[in-house]
Amino acid sequence: MQYGMIIDLNRCVGCHACAVACRAEWEIPVQFARNWLRRLGPAKTAHGLAATYYPGLCNHCAHPACVEVCPADTKMVTFKDVKTGRTKNMEVAATWKDPFNGTVQIDKKRCLGCGACADACPYGARYVNPDLADDDSDGKADKCTYCMPRVAVGLQPACVQTCLAEARIFGDLDDPESEVSKYVKKGAVGLTSKNVQIGPNSRYFGNKKDMALLMTQAPQEMPEANSRRSMLAGLLRPARQQAETIGLAGAAATFLGKALDDEEKG
Amino acid sequence: MAMNLNRRTFLKTASLAVAGIPLAKVVARAETGIAKAPLIPPGSFKDTKTVTGGVCEMCFWRCQLVGKIRGDRLVKLEGNPKSIDNGRNLCARGNSGIKLVYDPDRLKYPMKNIGKRGAPKWQKISWDEALNICAEKLQATIDKYGPKGIAIWYHGASSHYPNAYFDYLGVPNKYEPAFYQCRGQTAMAMMQTLGFVPNEDVDMPNSKAMLLVGCHIGENIHLSHVKNFVRGVENGSKVVVVDPRFSAAAAKAHIWVKIKPGTDTAFLLGLMNYMFDKDIYNKTFVKKYCLGLKRLKKHVAEWTVAKTAKECDIPGKQLVEVAELLAENSPHVSVHPGRHAAWYGNDFQRVRANACLTAILGAIDCPGGIVRIKRMSIGHVHWPEVEHDEDPEDFALAEMEEKHPFHPPGTPPEMMRDTMISGKPYPIKSMVIWGTNSIKTMPDQEKTMKALANMDFVMVSDVSPTDITMWADILLPEASYLERYDHVESGTQWDQGDTPRQFIAPRMPIIKPMFERKDPVWVINELAKKMGHGKDIPVKTQEEFVDRLLKKDNLSIAKLRKLDGIYIQPGESPYLKKGEEPEFPTDSGKIELYSEAMADEDFPPLPTYTRTEEPPRGFARMIYGRSPVQTFNRTANNAWLAREMPENPLWINDESAKKMGLKDGDRVFLENQDGKRSASSTVIKVTPGIRQDCVFLAHGYGTFNPAMTVGYHKGIDDNSLNTKINREGETGISGMRINFVRIIKDGKVINIPA
Repeated sequence: MQYGMIIDLNRCVGCHACAVACRAEWEIPVQFARNWLRRLGPAKTAHGLAATYYPGLCNHCAHPACVEVCPADTKMVTFKDVKTGRTKNMEVAATWKDPFNGTVQIDKKRCLGCGACADACPYGARYVNPDLADDDSDGKADKCTYCMPRVAVGLQPACVQTCLAEARIFGDLDDPESEVSKYVKKGAVGLTSKNVQIGPNSRYFGNKKDMALLMTQAPQEMPEANSRRSMLAGLLRPARQQAETIGLAGAAATFLGKALDDEEKG
Repeated sequence: MAMNLNRRTFLKTASLAVAGIPLAKVVARAETGIAKAPLIPPGSFKDTKTVTGGVCEMCFWRCQLVGKIRGDRLVKLEGNPKSIDNGRNLCARGNSGIKLVYDPDRLKYPMKNIGKRGAPKWQKISWDEALNICAEKLQATIDKYGPKGIAIWYHGASSHYPNAYFDYLGVPNKYEPAFYQCRGQTAMAMMQTLGFVPNEDVDMPNSKAMLLVGCHIGENIHLSHVKNFVRGVENGSKVVVVDPRFSAAAAKAHIWVKIKPGTDTAFLLGLMNYMFDKDIYNKTFVKKYCLGLKRLKKHVAEWTVAKTAKECDIPGKQLVEVAELLAENSPHVSVHPGRHAAWYGNDFQRVRANACLTAILGAIDCPGGIVRIKRMSIGHVHWPEVEHDEDPEDFALAEMEEKHPFHPPGTPPEMMRDTMISGKPYPIKSMVIWGTNSIKTMPDQEKTMKALANMDFVMVSDVSPTDITMWADILLPEASYLERYDHVESGTQWDQGDTPRQFIAPRMPIIKPMFERKDPVWVINELAKKMGHGKDIPVKTQEEFVDRLLKKDNLSIAKLRKLDGIYIQPGESPYLKKGEEPEFPTDSGKIELYSEAMADEDFPPLPTYTRTEEPPRGFARMIYGRSPVQTFNRTANNAWLAREMPENPLWINDESAKKMGLKDGDRVFLENQDGKRSASSTVIKVTPGIRQDCVFLAHGYGTFNPAMTVGYHKGIDDNSLNTKINREGETGISGMRINFVRIIKDGKVINIPA
């Protein structure tokens, strides 16, 4: 199962209700946001004058850049599939991609508040709240959770529920009969570009000109710090690692050295 | 500011501190919304109880809602799942009601201005003292000048009971901005033509084509109305948007008519002429139900394609395209009646043209057209009728001066304002302002301030410290819509094409009011007792008020509580049944393309176009509209909404901007044709989506009262630049898109090229 979100721009009118409902649901302090609404255009596109909206949120990516860079101590966690009851053990830092529902989540208790994950995300989907700093952290990272706690009790994500245009559709991308799958078949795409292809599961559907305008919002580069942080985070993990990572340690040290040299040169 | 509010800042914002309120009274408590963000927020569905019966009033569409309460704290608002109107949805403003309830800047106690009007110094007083002063001052005015010495300016559900009390007192001077700065002409001109007022009951989901003149649905958000529009678009209706700006509606349109501001009436006449010329109008409908076809045909004959295209600055073939599109889809065409009509001071005629176009398309009472939606009616609460020494009808200003024969209910506010200043034809000396911010609504702010300065007494009731509250002698804190009983909403399922159902939803409180905020029924009843009218009080409490409104349909608060706040029953389709004949309750019994009544009053009996003044060299027309996250200035202090759109960007054409050396995001002030400058600034938005002869910004920004700490001086107050007035003869309503502006950047004037 891979949860996904579809935003239908043919329906969306840019009312901002989704952004506010999320904020209300999860008590997000006003200076931060788990999701956002950017007003785009009117601007000329190859297909005509367009004005549309970028209702943005975490993409719960297939290959999340954020998960790779978390430097928190890892822990063996048992994940459970709510549907089948199956379990899986995984070694995870303070953020991970759920093996059963494909969403990316954060363990607030173990989060160090270092901000590596927020820096690593090309979409800017995460933030760190320094007000939640405690003895063991500089704050806490936070982001959209695809409202898993709501979904667990049979509710829709808050943004989906409030949308007056029914422009947000949520469901299982791995189920070919689901509404979200049908949208993917119709051509709904995530915000990707040549250098940013980490498999976003929040996808957009719309007419040619609106999609052309929307795609101007796709990040064009992976954040700079990413590869360096990735290596650093990998090296700081305790010895009990999956085989591939240990195998790379030697090469990683060389890489890291070069990367740090490059940084100093500016 | 309130966004980074902590206890210290909260205490600092209270000018209450100056007046020596004991600090214990203003200490931040859990109810006042200053709480640290939880490490793991539980979600609104955890450990909360759901309270039903809410009816929103963040705008006036009145969606039905529920509140999620944790302990004694309201944590979320959601659409009432039982609602057949908005369902589980709420817009950005509906969701943000929480930040109104817990806004630290909100009015908390009755206050007396011990400073000056416009430069207040507030002293907290008791309700008893406040209402004693109000009673004494109002009575003094009545004793000296008669009840005509009082004027009440009011708006919103909370003002209806107070309004009824002032009717009882015999006060002839009253008005609602909803009519006189908004949709007065939309109501009156439709009434004059069709014999009824459609409001916005236009069946977009089931239309084959839509014509929106100026309507920027999507930036204006009336929830179920937007649902109607979106469904219509999705169902394949061909949308035509006529707007100088590429609005949210234009973004979904098939045809965008980039019309020259002020020429919409000519466009409508041109459409009609083309349809007559090519014989493609709905002849059967017109023959049966319309009066004045021949005269209308002759009257619009001058509006050839060429002439219309030139006047409107649009391609001739676009006019043809639109006319043919509408005609070929007749009668299933949504010719949107519009809502806010107070544009140029010649707007009655435009709405008449709109109504005539609708009629010649036969687009009434059918799927897609204007529909007469069948809603349940609600009871009324009146004070008893009493004899007055002076019949208030004899002192209604418009009638006295024999002006504005087609004015909407109430008195044109500018007539009252002039009278407040001049004392002619009689003195108005006491003002009651209830739930309306006259500084932001009435053009010519200086005049409003001058008029208020001339009063013996000014009494203001509001929820927030809006601009107008600075002019109160006595300022009363109102319970918000989430904290009181008042309005009863009556409606149907949101798509007229779906199974017909009707609903009734009374507004019931979600939470108790905090501090000393009171509901208007209590306030007015106490005032009435102090003025010696206790025996005539029609309802003792707000609950009794609502029960009385519900009684007509055999309902009650108790019954509605058992129904989760919404009563639903089978309804009736608005579409004409086979063989059913429509009725048009005009004087003639037909749709009056030609209006005898208007001819009798020396107004054009056929919809007529008059040119509006052009911008002077170097200036562009200032046009305003709505933001989806604001409701005029009411929401300007809402922290969540301010975050979504903290300022009102000024839309300026990209070619003009280039010539002027302006970039996206540049900070600017505005100066109008009379040299008036905006007190605060906004950012430029450079776009090809607007004509060069106008600039656009959302109305309601640029709060004037520093007590609204979130909204104060954020963005530009467009109304502060409305110094020129053009009051139309038919209704007494002033147009507000007749002022022109140029840019001030870094202290330098930058002219806007032609």
